[in-house]
Amino acid sequence: MFLARIGGTVVAAVKHPTLDGCRFLIAQRLEADGSAALEPIVVVDWLGAGSGATVLVSTDGDIARNRLGNTTPARMVVVGIVDQVQTRLSARQR
Amino acid sequence: MRLGVVRGHVVLNPAVAAFHGKTLVVLEPVTMENLRAGNGLGGGKSLVAIDELGAAKGQMVAFTEGREAANPFWPNAVPVDAYCSLIVDSINIQP
Repeated sequence: MFLARIGGTVVAAVKHPTLDGCRFLIAQRLEADGSAALEPIVVVDWLGAGSGATVLVSTDGDIARNRLGNTTPARMVVVGIVDQVQTRLSARQR
Repeated sequence: MRLGVVRGHVVLNPAVAAFHGKTLVVLEPVTMENLRAGNGLGGGKSLVAIDELGAAKGQMVAFTEGREAANPFWPNAVPVDAYCSLIVDSINIQP
């Protein structure tokens, strides 16, 4: 799983039948220091992540298969919308 | 999935049984910079994927990689690791 920032949406009429009605978002994978990846990815989202949101993406295909059927090519799915990322070291770790 | 621009098609002769009757497209992944500019350039490392949607040269598709790329052929096992899941009509990018 990794963190990614949503950059926009994709509209596609011609797609694999199991992807009908799915919401496709453009996302960029985030590094620990917050910098974004060069190449965008397209994730399937049913949690309603908005543009600019930071989300947690999983590449495990099972959740997509359970929801969209055994023949779905979907793989990267938004499994959660990030509320807060804790990066400050606590006093003890510093 | 990742985004890629179709650069051409591949015809195999001979090929393993799983690839008989399948259309193979040469894809060039798109970087975020080229996507924002909308200049039709790719910029990524090229690869070949199975396409059952009939994407034409120059069209942008989103393709799946890894084990899930063989899911559409379930239950028979095929040596496929890249599959065109959708043909992009339009992309709306927030600045």
